[in-house]
Order: sequence, then C-alpha cells, then structure tokens
Amino acid sequence: MIAVLGLVVGIVVGLFVRPEVPAVVEPYLPIAVVAALDAVFGGLRAMLDGIFDDKVFVVSFLSNVVVAALIVFLGDKLGVGAQLSTGVVVVLGIRIFSNAAAIRRHVFRA
Amino acid sequence: MNDRDDNDGRPEGSERPAEPERPQSADGRKAPGHTPAQPPARTPAQSPGEAPAPERRSPSLRSELPAEVRGARPRPAATDGPEPGGPGTAGQVADGERELTGRQRLVKGLWPPRVSRAQLIVAVLLFVLGLGLAIQVRSHSDNSALRGARQEDLVRILDELDSRTQRLEDEKQGLEHQRTELENSSDQADEARKQTAEKERQLGILAGTEVAQGPGITMTVTDPKGAVQADMLLDAIQELRAAGAEAIQVNGVRVVVNTYLTDADGGKGVSVDGHHLSQPYRFKVIGKPQDLEPALNIPGGVVQTLEKEQATVTVTRSEKVVVDALRAAHQPDYAQSSSQ
Repeated sequence: MIAVLGLVVGIVVGLFVRPEVPAVVEPYLPIAVVAALDAVFGGLRAMLDGIFDDKVFVVSFLSNVVVAALIVFLGDKLGVGAQLSTGVVVVLGIRIFSNAAAIRRHVFRA
Repeated sequence: MNDRDDNDGRPEGSERPAEPERPQSADGRKAPGHTPAQPPARTPAQSPGEAPAPERRSPSLRSELPAEVRGARPRPAATDGPEPGGPGTAGQVADGERELTGRQRLVKGLWPPRVSRAQLIVAVLLFVLGLGLAIQVRSHSDNSALRGARQEDLVRILDELDSRTQRLEDEKQGLEHQRTELENSSDQADEARKQTAEKERQLGILAGTEVAQGPGITMTVTDPKGAVQADMLLDAIQELRAAGAEAIQVNGVRVVVNTYLTDADGGKGVSVDGHHLSQPYRFKVIGKPQDLEPALNIPGGVVQTLEKEQATVTVTRSEKVVVDALRAAHQPDYAQSSSQ
C-alpha cells in the first residue's frame, strides 16, 4: 500500500513541481524509466508468487536502471544510440509483457 | 530473454520447478533443510529479506509459471492446510504464502497498510520511478515537435533555419543599404535646396528681385538747370560698377544688367528704363564705401564732370544702405542655360 502511495506521490510531484532534469541525465531518463518499470513488474510478480524480497528488488531496480543507461551511453558513444535504445526497449518490453502475463494469471487465473 | 534473472525481484526466477519439485522448492525458500511440519513455528522470526536467499541458488528448480501456479494451488490444501489461520493473521506475506493465491497476496499486501522496511524501500523506489515517469511524459509533451524528431529531421530543420536566416540577413542588409541611400539622398536634396535658395538670393540681388542691404554710399545729384544728361548718369553708374557696386537704385528704380538710360523728352531730365526721373537724382549704392567714394571723387571723374554742369553732388558714406526697389523677375524667351 505504501509502495503504491509512493508511486502516486512520485507522479504527482513530477507533474506539479516540474523539477529540472540535468541535461546530462536527460537522454537516459526514458530508457531508465522503462527499465525501472520492468523491475517493478518483476517485483509485482514476485510478490504475487509470494517470493518477494526487498533487497533483491532494490538491487534489480537499481541495476536495471544503471545497465539500461549504460547501454544507451555506450550506444551514443559508438554511434548506434538509437538502435541500442530500441533494442533495450524491445527486450524490456518483452520482459514486461511476460511478467504481466504471470501477474494476469495470478490475478485473473486466466 | 533473461527474465529469469534475479534482477526482477524474484530471487528464484520466474520459471518454477516442475510440479514434482515444488514441495522442495517451497521448503527451500522458507528455510533450508526444514521439514514441512516446521514452518509455523519458524515463520514469525523470518524476515522477508532472508527467506528467498537460499533458493536463489537453485536454478535447477525453474519451470514454467503456469505449472507453478497449478502446483501451488493444490499444495496448500495438501500439506499446509492446517496453517492458514495463524500465519495469515500475522500479516506477513511469507507466512501465508503456501495457503494464499496470488490474488489474495495482492489484496493482503494492499489493504492493511503496514510500515515495514520492504514497503518503505519499495515506496522510495516507486517514488523515483513515478517522478521519472512524470518528468519524462511532461517534457516529452512540452515541445514534442523537436524532442521527438529524429536526428536527420533535426539536421534538415537546422539547415532550413540556417538558410532562412541567411536569406533574411541578406534581405536586411539590402534594406539597410537602401535606407542609407535614401537618407543620404534626402540629406543631399536638403543641401541642394539650401544651396539653391542661397543662390537664388544672390542672383535675386543681382537681378533686382530681392531687397538688398549693406554698407555703401548715397549720392545725391541736384541739377537745378537740367543740364545733366543720361550719359553722365550712365558714366556715374559705370564708375560705381567698376568700383565694385553690387546693388544700385536711382530714385526708386533698380539698376540691373539690362537697365538703359535715355534723355527725357524735351531734353530736360533723364529716364531710366522708361521711368522719368525727377530731380534730385538720388543714388543708393551698396558696395565698399572706401572704394566707391574715391571712385566718384577722382579728378576728372563723375563728380567733377557733374559739377562742371553746375550740378551739386553730395556723396555720403553709410554703414547701412537699403536698396529696396524691386524689379519683376523676367523669364527669358529664347536664352536657356546650356548646362541643363
């Protein structure tokens, strides 16, 4: 419950406070958000499976974000930033979908 | 796809072991090596963080999730059936794990709000996620025209803007040049107008269309006997001109370039430009007085010649002589300036 509240508060604060994102971080924000979403879906599925572990969640969340940003950074340096970003988004998207399918089976039993 | 990694928060991976291994996996997650009878006594002391650790090291236990779900459901009834009451009320997810379905766990995790370390940490991370999400959505919708554009499009747009700037710059330079020209020409026109007016005044003095004033002399010729003739006055005028007279009038008649003097009818008096002059003849002359007066008084000059005819001549210098007789400007019929 508190976790959901955290998410809601984060969105509200982001929408209304309008914090300035440093220009250095800006290119990595979208991909980091997608990676974080993937971690959240994984964590939700783990919770439904009854095997949720906060430590693992924190580590996976942070490492997901860092690795995603790293890949984009590397892609930018190599000149294939757009392609690598697309690849990362595709991979994360597939993971999110598979996790969402598991969550769906839990919640709707279908 | 490696969603079986532990980085999604599910320590043992998404794929569960096959049904036969399921009991073992459940036990291993709780506490390594325990027997099915132990869980109720052990669970209260267990913290969510340490429970999954052992199982993470058992990759062989992975299988498809549907199998796990199916396996999980019969299991609570089979082995942990007696337990649901106690652990369930304890409020820990791990407690009721074997009895609860995923949906029940979700509801349980949602409703009685509990402040635990896990919840707080997850809340913080989700806060960060929500923040990033909102920022990204907002910044993307702010100026979406350029932000969403591809690099080639951006380069093209930049090129277009550059060329457009170049064109506008050229146009601006042309217009500024034009403006400078116009300002110069209007300045020149002003100057020319001023010069023209000045010249008109100068020429007007010569042509007799303007009132002239300045230092000069006044000469009065009184001729009681009427002996003074036109040639004498003409001599006087020519002497004055030779001495630098710039404007002359005689009894209200301006003497200009085409002035002529004739003897009046009957031999008495003089006519200037057809105007009969009555005595005395009063000359107003503008020029340098120091030059004009001696020119008249030189021996054998105008004054002596007139006095020989018993005329009385008076010459006075004056610092301000006004020649106010005017003459209409005459437009020549045939002569035209060759410079035009």
